[in-house]
Amino acid sequence: MWVEVLALDGAIATRERIDGAEARIGRAFDNDVVVDDPHVAPHHLRIFRDDAGELVAEDLGTVNGLYPEHGAQRSALLSLAKLSGIRIGRTTLRVHDGTRPVAPERALTAPRAHAAWAALLGVALLAMLAVLQWLDTTGQPRANVILLPLLGFIAILALWAGLWAVLSRVFLGQARFALQLRIAVTACLALIAWDQACETLSFALAWREMADYAALGVWALLAATCYAHLHAIGPRHMRFAMGIVLVLVGAGALLQYASRSEVRTLVGQSATLGELRPPALRLVPLASADEFFARAAGTRLKVDQARTREPGGGLFADFGQSD
Amino acid sequence: MPPRRLPLTAACLAACLALAQPAATPVPAAPALSSTAERVYEMAKPRILQVRTLLQAAGRQTTLGSGFLVGADGLALTNYHVVSQFALDPRTYRLEYLAPDGARGELKLLAIDVAHDLAVVKLDRAGLPWFEFDPRALAGNLPKGERIYAMGNPLDLGFTIIEGTNNGLVDRSYDERIHFSGAINPGMSGGPVTDAEGRIVGINVAKRLDGEQVGFLVPARFAAALLERARHGPALAVDKAREEVGRQLDGWQSTFYDTLVRAGFRTAAYGPYQGLESAAPWMTCWAATNADQVPRPRAAVNTTRCSSATGIFVSDRILTGRVDLTYAYYKSVDLNAFQFAKELSQRSAGPGIGAVAAKRLTEQECRDDFVAGAGHGPALRATWCMRAYRDFEGLYNVTLLALTQDRSREALLAQLTMQGVSHANAVALGRRFLAAIQWQR
Repeated sequence: MWVEVLALDGAIATRERIDGAEARIGRAFDNDVVVDDPHVAPHHLRIFRDDAGELVAEDLGTVNGLYPEHGAQRSALLSLAKLSGIRIGRTTLRVHDGTRPVAPERALTAPRAHAAWAALLGVALLAMLAVLQWLDTTGQPRANVILLPLLGFIAILALWAGLWAVLSRVFLGQARFALQLRIAVTACLALIAWDQACETLSFALAWREMADYAALGVWALLAATCYAHLHAIGPRHMRFAMGIVLVLVGAGALLQYASRSEVRTLVGQSATLGELRPPALRLVPLASADEFFARAAGTRLKVDQARTREPGGGLFADFGQSD
Repeated sequence: MPPRRLPLTAACLAACLALAQPAATPVPAAPALSSTAERVYEMAKPRILQVRTLLQAAGRQTTLGSGFLVGADGLALTNYHVVSQFALDPRTYRLEYLAPDGARGELKLLAIDVAHDLAVVKLDRAGLPWFEFDPRALAGNLPKGERIYAMGNPLDLGFTIIEGTNNGLVDRSYDERIHFSGAINPGMSGGPVTDAEGRIVGINVAKRLDGEQVGFLVPARFAAALLERARHGPALAVDKAREEVGRQLDGWQSTFYDTLVRAGFRTAAYGPYQGLESAAPWMTCWAATNADQVPRPRAAVNTTRCSSATGIFVSDRILTGRVDLTYAYYKSVDLNAFQFAKELSQRSAGPGIGAVAAKRLTEQECRDDFVAGAGHGPALRATWCMRAYRDFEGLYNVTLLALTQDRSREALLAQLTMQGVSHANAVALGRRFLAAIQWQR
C-alpha cells in the first residue's frame, strides 16, 4: 500500500510504502505516516482492508474529520476504491495499491533547445518586421524610422512572454521563459504572416470585405496562442483555463464585430483604393467596363435602402455632417 | 474658391455683434453718398424687407436675409438660401418679414428656383409700393461700368444702400451671375440691386471671401421668370417644397450633364498617360507638382485638377452640383514596386473619406474591381463609391477612382467626383472617364 501526501500546490510532498496490513496516519510520531498539518489530529486516521480486500479509511475520532478529496460530506468511514484521494485537515492524501500503470518515459528536450528556437524565430521575426517596415517606408528611409519600432516590439514581446513565465513559475514551479518566448515569437510570426496574406489577398482579389475576416483570424490566432502558453504551464486545470480563454476571445471577437458593423453603418466605406500591392500580384481576371458598372450598381441598391434608415447617433454623430 | 453664401446664421450673428461692440465708438463721418444713391434709397425704403427664419418652438431668428416687394399683391422676392430651412423643414421653422417701418408678419412661400437661388414669398398684407424690373437688365444689355445700387440689411445693422459697379456676367462660369463690384455682406442675401431709376437689375446672392468687393447677383430675368410662374402656376404646398427642391435638382443635373456632354471632351496628356478633359470653358483647371519639395520626394507627382466650380445651395449642410476631375501622374524616383504601391495607397483617398451617415446624406458604399482598359488601354484598379441624398430620390454623390496597373513604378491616379447626380448620368460620364485612360507613348 502506498500513501502519498500532497503539498498545497498539488504536487506530491512525501510518498510512503506501508508493508503492514494497516496504516496509521496523524501528527504524532508513532504514526506510520506523519503529517505536519496543525489541523490534523495526533492520531487522525487508520487505513485497513475490509473483508472484500478493499482499502478503507476510518476516522479515529477527530475534530476536523475525514472527507473525500473533492467532497464536502464528512464520513467516519470511507471506502477508497472509487476515490482519487481523501482530505484530513488541510492536507490531501492519496492511498493506492501501487498497481496503477505509470506514464511512459518522456524524452528530454535537448538542453537550451527552446532558447535556441526562440532566438532563431526571434531573429526571423525581427528581420521580417524590418523588411516590412522598409517596404512601408515611402518617406526618407532612415535607420531609426525602421529600427525604432522594432525596439518597442521587442519590449512588448519580452513582457508578454515574461508574464506567462511568471504564471508558469507560480503554477508549475518552473518559469520556462525560453519556451514561453518561443511560443510568443511563433505566434507573432503567424500573426504578421496572416495580416500580410489578408492585405495582399484583399488587393489581389479586389475584395474589400477581406478585412472583416482578417480580424476574426487574428482572434483565432490569439486563442491558439493562449492555449499554447497554458499548455506549456501544465495540463492540470487546462480545461478550466481554456474555457476562460475561449470565453474572453469569443467576447472580444464578438464585441469587435459589433463595433465594426456599427461603424460600418455610421461611417460607411471610404473612397480609397485600399491597401495596394504591385500590379503583378493581381489574381482575379480583369472585368470589362460593363461588368464593373453592373457590379457597381449594387452600391446604388444599398444606399437607396439606407435612405429610409435614420442615421445613427453615438460617437460619430458630430462628424461629417456636411459634405 | 467657391463663393460664400450670405445668410447670417444665429451663431455668426452673435459672433459678429460681439466683435462689433468695441468698434461702436464714433467714427469720422463717411463721405456722403452720391445724390443718386440718396434718391434711390428714399424710393426703395418702403419696398425692402428683412426676411427672417424663426425657430417655431423658440420664436427666435435662426437666419436673416433680405427681400423686396415686386407687386401690389404682396409678392416679394428673396434668395432660396434665405428660406431653405423653412422649405426643407416647415414643421421646425417659420418665415417672417420685418419692414423698415417696423411692421412684421408671416410670409408664405409661393415658388422656389433652387438652381438660380431664388424664392417668391407673399406678405400677409397688400397695397404696399413695389419695384419694377429694368427692361435693359431683362434683355441682358445693361452696360458694363454702370453704377448700380445694392440694398439689404447687412449683419442685421439696419437697411443699407451700397453703390457699386455692374461688371456684367461672370466669365467662364456655368451659372449666369452678375459680377458686382461693391461690398455686399451676410444678411443682404435676397436684397434688390437697382439702376439709378430704382429698377431691379439683379438680386444679391454671394460674395468671394478671397477677394475684395467681389460680389455676385442673380440676373433679373430669372427673377422675373420665377415671379411669372408664381403668379400663374399652382402655389407650392408647404409640405411639398422638399419634393420640389428634389425635382429642380434633378432637372438641373440633367441639363448640366447634357451641357457638359454637348460642350465635348478632349484627351489631355498626364505624363505618358492620357485622360479625359472637358472642353467646356467653365471647367477650370489647376496644376500642382511636388518637384520643388525638400527633401527630394521619392516619387514625383504632377497633379491636374479641373472643377466645374458649380455649387447649388440646398441647405446649410449641403452644397451640391459640382464635378471635379483630378489626374495625378506618379513616377517613382527610388521607391521599389512595394513602396510605390504603398505611396499610392496613401494618396488614393477620395473626398468624403470619412463619409459619415448624416442628416441629409446616407453613408457611403463602395465597390472595387480590376477593370480592363478600353482598346489597348492599361488595366485599371477601379473603385466606385456612392452616397444617396435622403431627401431627394435618385440623386447621389459619386466618386470614381481609377489607378493604372500596367507598370509597377509609374501610374496615373485618376479621380472623378460628381455631386447631386443621377445614377444614369454618373455611369455615362464614368464610362467615358475610364475609357479615356490610355498609355500614349
